[in-house]
Amino acid sequence: MTSSVGTEGQTGGQPLGQQAEFLAEKMAEVRGEISKAIVGQAEVVDGVLIALLAGGHVLLEGAPGLGKTMLVRTLAQAVAQKYSRIQFTPDLMPADVIGTSVVQENGDGRKSLGFQPGPIFTNLLLADEINRATPKTQSALLEAMQEKQVTVAHTSHLLEEPFFVMATQNPLEMEGTYPLPEAQLDRFLFKLRVPYPGREDLHDILDRTTQGTPATVSPVVNGTQILEMRKIVRTVPVAPHVQEHVVKLTLATHPENRENLLAGKYIRYGSSPRGAQTLILGGKVRALLDGRYNVSMDDIRALMLPALRHRIILNFEAQADGRTPDDLLEEIAGKVCAK
Amino acid sequence: MLIALIAVAAASAKLAGALFFIAVVAAVGSASVLIWTWRNRPSRYETARRLDSAAGLQDRISTAVYLGGIADHDGIIGEQRRDALAHLVKVDPRGFFPLQWPGNARRAAMLVLLAAGLFAYRIHHQPPLISLLQTTARSQLVQSILSPIVHAMEKDLQRTVALVTMKPEATGEEIQRGDAVSSSDDLWKADDKAAGAEDQKDAADAGEGDQPQDQLQAPGSQEGNPSGEARQESNSQSQEGKSGNESADDKSQEQSEQQGPEGRQSLGQSLMQALKNMMSNSPNQQSNNRAAQKPSGQGTPQSGNSQQPGATESDKRGESRGNSDAKQKATQTASEGAGSQQGTKELRKDQETHPVNAIPDRVALEASGFKEQTRMKVATETGTAHLADRGLSPQQDAVVNGAEQENIPARYRFYVQRYFEHTDNGKQ
Repeated sequence: MTSSVGTEGQTGGQPLGQQAEFLAEKMAEVRGEISKAIVGQAEVVDGVLIALLAGGHVLLEGAPGLGKTMLVRTLAQAVAQKYSRIQFTPDLMPADVIGTSVVQENGDGRKSLGFQPGPIFTNLLLADEINRATPKTQSALLEAMQEKQVTVAHTSHLLEEPFFVMATQNPLEMEGTYPLPEAQLDRFLFKLRVPYPGREDLHDILDRTTQGTPATVSPVVNGTQILEMRKIVRTVPVAPHVQEHVVKLTLATHPENRENLLAGKYIRYGSSPRGAQTLILGGKVRALLDGRYNVSMDDIRALMLPALRHRIILNFEAQADGRTPDDLLEEIAGKVCAK
Repeated sequence: MLIALIAVAAASAKLAGALFFIAVVAAVGSASVLIWTWRNRPSRYETARRLDSAAGLQDRISTAVYLGGIADHDGIIGEQRRDALAHLVKVDPRGFFPLQWPGNARRAAMLVLLAAGLFAYRIHHQPPLISLLQTTARSQLVQSILSPIVHAMEKDLQRTVALVTMKPEATGEEIQRGDAVSSSDDLWKADDKAAGAEDQKDAADAGEGDQPQDQLQAPGSQEGNPSGEARQESNSQSQEGKSGNESADDKSQEQSEQQGPEGRQSLGQSLMQALKNMMSNSPNQQSNNRAAQKPSGQGTPQSGNSQQPGATESDKRGESRGNSDAKQKATQTASEGAGSQQGTKELRKDQETHPVNAIPDRVALEASGFKEQTRMKVATETGTAHLADRGLSPQQDAVVNGAEQENIPARYRFYVQRYFEHTDNGKQ
């Protein structure tokens, strides 16, 4: 797929429907390449691919050793993009992430301040254990994730597209960590929970990693194709009742909504409009990956938890009652669907 | 509406107006249902949504219907439309939305059949519900009338047989007044027990909410006040002094008649009077009986009057306190009242002068024992139990010798005649 997407939804002579089919085929290939290195974790892989095509970022949460870093590295190899990894530590400074101005000497021998780009200037960025850095350093990612640019010394530097951030955090060792602020959490399209592998998957992991040589991942798509796919995604139609369901679901997470007593009881802050955007965009990608050309209610239901679980802030009562965002969202979605 | 049809067919005598009204209501109702259904029919988009949900089409059909007005054959909308059509041909909507009878269709069909059958029946017959109600009311009325009367008659018969069997054993010289009083107390207790049992049975019957029985109880309760007034009159007369045996007998007779409007008591009194007649007609006791009737007549109204206040009080309090209180009050007033003291004194005088026969005492005792049966609720209006004429005293009944049978309703007269024949045969 080398043609560009036109404004009328068609590439140069190629119908948009065929492009959508091409997208689904390519993504299936990417999934296949990733599965060479990553055993199982189908939901996480799908979530990462959906976020990649939707133009968002992913926050992976899971225990150490579950293949988070491996997943990002494999994905970078499969999509043939530049890959950077930043290990976030408490003493990490923003300049270590976005870069800084340094004195440079040109050919004439004159010295001047020049911008030295940080590791953020890449296509796929792995922010490993992002919650171990200070909020000041964490906030260095805000502008990059949202505006796809960084500003140093009153100079803005655009990041190369596609720019895709995958941050990881360890939910077990919370001592000495700095939980991400709500503003930064909202900028992640999905928050994916990386589960422990099952019995069969664990056998497969042992076989692959302890015998022979590691599998080689071949590049399947490039950055340009990914950008074209992102444009195709936005052409997928959404039926009014599906969009209405998304709106209802988003509003139902608001504690100000008097119709939903559950949200008023346990939720301090509800989902932002980014949550609804995430649901629609993610639904479109999921529909295309599924071979459909329309968003269905099943897409919304499947993406509800990764799209909204980090966008609602529970209050003290919910924590005292042991409620989690996932079970609250499931309950709210059940009530919204019942209406 | 079907139920209304059935009700009309079962109860109404004229069907034309009701049928016209029901036809109009049915027409208006059907038109309303059709209009409501047409106005609330699901739209094409809603139908597509339901089909998507039922067939698991992932909202393909509804999206295609929503995008139906957009002409985009080569774009993604066209692709979506083709995809929806490709999936739609694999779906059989009749399998997801089968035609089903409503849940209450069977009951409605049964009601329709019932209504049709009733109307077919009504072409040649009267409303079945009214005739059924009449038949039921008659049967219930007859049962409610007959059952207490038959029960009372059986009881009276048993008592009479018991008295007849006791008669040869007792003689007038052997029985003293104190013994008579004690034996009368024993019989009172026995009567009270029996009355209590009957009251419980009546209360149980009344608790069943039998409507005809309630209707029968109403006249009895209405006549309670006149009987109370009669008792007061008789009491005042007895306190003023005995104006005469006959007047006292008349008063006591009138009182007993007014006091017991129930057919059972009057029947019992009639039986007792008949028994007295029978005994007075016996050749060996006739002279003694006539001689003893006058002195005993002095004692009888006295004892009757002396027990009247007790009975009145027991009537007043008996409903709340029970039969035991009523018995105590009756006994107390019988021993404490002025009438009872005078009556006892005169009776003792009579006993001293005339040998007392046991039969009048027992007759008087039995007659006084019937006061406790005034709570039997049988209305005189029903014509089942007519009281004796007020002008007739027990003495006169005894003299008339069979005139009391005229007071017995015709339906029981045969039974009473047979009873007396049986008793006479037994004597002979």
